[in-house]
Amino acid sequence: MDDLSARPHPDAPLLRPIERPARNFYLIVGILLAIILYTGFVYLRQILFGLGVTGMAQPVTWGFYIINFVFFIGISHAGTLISAILRLSKAEWRRPITRMAEVITAIVLAIGGLHPIIDLGRPDRMSHLFFNGRLQSPLLWDITSITAYFTASTVYLYIPLIPDIAILRDRGVKPRWLYEFLSWGWQGTERQHKVLDRAMNILMVIVIPIAISVHTIISYIFAMTVQPGWHSTIFGPYFVVGAIFSGIAAILVLMIVFRKIFRLEGYLKHVHFNYLSILLLIMSLLWFYFTFSEYLTGYYGHEPNEMRVFWYKFTGDFAPYFWTMIFCNFFLPVLLLCNRKTRTIPGILIASISVIIGMWLERLIIVVPSLANPRLPYPTGIYIPTHTEWMLFIGGISVFVLGYMIFARFFPVISIWEIEEGRKESAKIVTERISSYMPDIKPTSAGE
Amino acid sequence: MKWGMVIDLQKCTGCGECVAACKRENNVAVVEPKESAMGRTMLWMDMLTIFEGDYPRLRVRQIPRPCMHCDHPPCTKVCPVRATYINEEGIVTQIYPQCIGCRYCMAACPYTVKSFNWYKPEWTPGIRDTVNPDVSVRPVGVVEKCTFCVHRRQKAKEQAKSEAREPRENDYQPACAEGCPTGAIVFGDIENSGHRVNHLAHSPRATRLLEDLGTEPKVIYLKEVD
Amino acid sequence: MSKKTIEGLQIVSISLIWVLFTGIAIWVFNLIKVSLELHDAPDASVAISIVAILIFLVLASVLTYVFIGLRKGRNEDKET
Repeated sequence: MDDLSARPHPDAPLLRPIERPARNFYLIVGILLAIILYTGFVYLRQILFGLGVTGMAQPVTWGFYIINFVFFIGISHAGTLISAILRLSKAEWRRPITRMAEVITAIVLAIGGLHPIIDLGRPDRMSHLFFNGRLQSPLLWDITSITAYFTASTVYLYIPLIPDIAILRDRGVKPRWLYEFLSWGWQGTERQHKVLDRAMNILMVIVIPIAISVHTIISYIFAMTVQPGWHSTIFGPYFVVGAIFSGIAAILVLMIVFRKIFRLEGYLKHVHFNYLSILLLIMSLLWFYFTFSEYLTGYYGHEPNEMRVFWYKFTGDFAPYFWTMIFCNFFLPVLLLCNRKTRTIPGILIASISVIIGMWLERLIIVVPSLANPRLPYPTGIYIPTHTEWMLFIGGISVFVLGYMIFARFFPVISIWEIEEGRKESAKIVTERISSYMPDIKPTSAGE
Repeated sequence: MKWGMVIDLQKCTGCGECVAACKRENNVAVVEPKESAMGRTMLWMDMLTIFEGDYPRLRVRQIPRPCMHCDHPPCTKVCPVRATYINEEGIVTQIYPQCIGCRYCMAACPYTVKSFNWYKPEWTPGIRDTVNPDVSVRPVGVVEKCTFCVHRRQKAKEQAKSEAREPRENDYQPACAEGCPTGAIVFGDIENSGHRVNHLAHSPRATRLLEDLGTEPKVIYLKEVD
Repeated sequence: MSKKTIEGLQIVSISLIWVLFTGIAIWVFNLIKVSLELHDAPDASVAISIVAILIFLVLASVLTYVFIGLRKGRNEDKET
């Protein structure tokens, strides 16, 4: 039988991981599954014994689970920014990046969305949320918005994936039935292209307000209480900016990783990293602006309870985490990315990892200090996470890596049809667009 | 009808009988010493110790702190399943079978009055015989707090009904008020001019905790005079 | 797998999103009903919940549009 997948394709490097997966793949999947299985046992222990196996206590009743919840959902903003906003602004350099970004969003939203369930004292009573939920609680708003975002981003991932699935189907990649099923009869006709374009246009517009609402509503969980350090009107935009910031860092790390292991140097070129890292730089400055505003207004107002939380972060028990966060989120990325000489792939990798760590610390610094410093004169709370909480964190990351690896095994991580479209039509589209910017030719004066 | 409490800090000696009485009455679990050191002690009625000033003008104040039973409770606003709510008589109650243990109400309460069952509560064999049959024992993973001994309200109502009379002021008193040796804790209907709390609540010494937050707590403290 | 089975699976897959939409609509209306009974939801929450249902409606419609559009576009090709 003619092995269709042996036919050369101009974008062979993008197809190779699917048609000829590396041997390491199964080994790494095995290791990840082992970690996830162990994490499952650890969680089972928590269900059997209760939340006492964690490090939470009064007054710090929220810890790692809520921190990681906010952290993972924050990273999900990667997909929206790159796919939707870059597509909307017709930036041609988005083409190799959109797929990777959309996959991050879909997987990380699923993981993040499960974290509040891990945090529940009685997860067996989850159905109460559905039958007797109360609309006035920010947690309920959260459930709605995260479900909406997850649905929207999955649909937004799937629809542009269809032509690529058709390519795999036509090349006879196994399992054939999967690609037949998922490709929904795509044949690349003009009518089908129009349908796809129209659908993508609608989606890329509505996914942006959904994404912004998700992280704003997550911030409302904190901002809608009266606790010092939480009851701040800036929380909505602050969280959204932080989410986009951590999302871009996550995409950059993934781009660098895939570029290395799939050898995609021809697709993910220096210009892509350059542009994205400048976006990261801008987000770092924006994040610093919001953080600065938040703390300056708190300090200037000098309200006693706010100041206790303030000093706890600046000079108290949380000072090491706070200043590491400022270093990781602002000083290091700005230093590395301002200068063209350090804006290289290794430099960008260091800056992005630094931002991811810094943004996790930021979530820690938002959740714990306000809880540890109650208004009434109690001793300051201490929070020391236990093995259970660390394992669930590592387990969450492992689920992410595993999910991504499985996706990359069956679908191309770079959108093949959009690259082809770019090769054929980008130059023409962009030339037309630029000539429309140029001033019209002056009419010749009458008496020439 | 609105139930409220007045605590006269001039009369309070900080003996802690209210704390112990509450624990006995409401089957509040005793946790292991290691857990207690972590901050998981369950006290529905807590005794706050406040140090003010420096030697020689040092002042130590002991303030019993039950749930404030706010009229605008921040905790009920955020509960996603209505496991905590304020009833028609002004008591902020908990529905233990409804609570999913998200602990949002604990994070939202500015007075930090709520406790959580981190593990399944256990009683040593001797103490097990003394648990109060009128109060349900909470399972693992739910939030609990002072309820102004609302089970006693139920009892008083039914007692009065069976005797075909109106309930009297002393029919319904929470364990802390009943146990206080100096009578510092006074409890009753703050809307009923026949009850002592109604007068005491309007005393010139009356103050509430964190009044500026707008929670309108129904526990009123009478400031010390010396 | 035969073509018929695959087509059947595809139709099941598109109907799943309508199941999701119906489920969410029922859930949100139930919540609105509960909050009206208890008199404790500000109007804003109710309004936003209705917007949420509309969003799911749009998503389900777009996906169905793509499904039907692709099938229509495909038949055209067979005729030529």
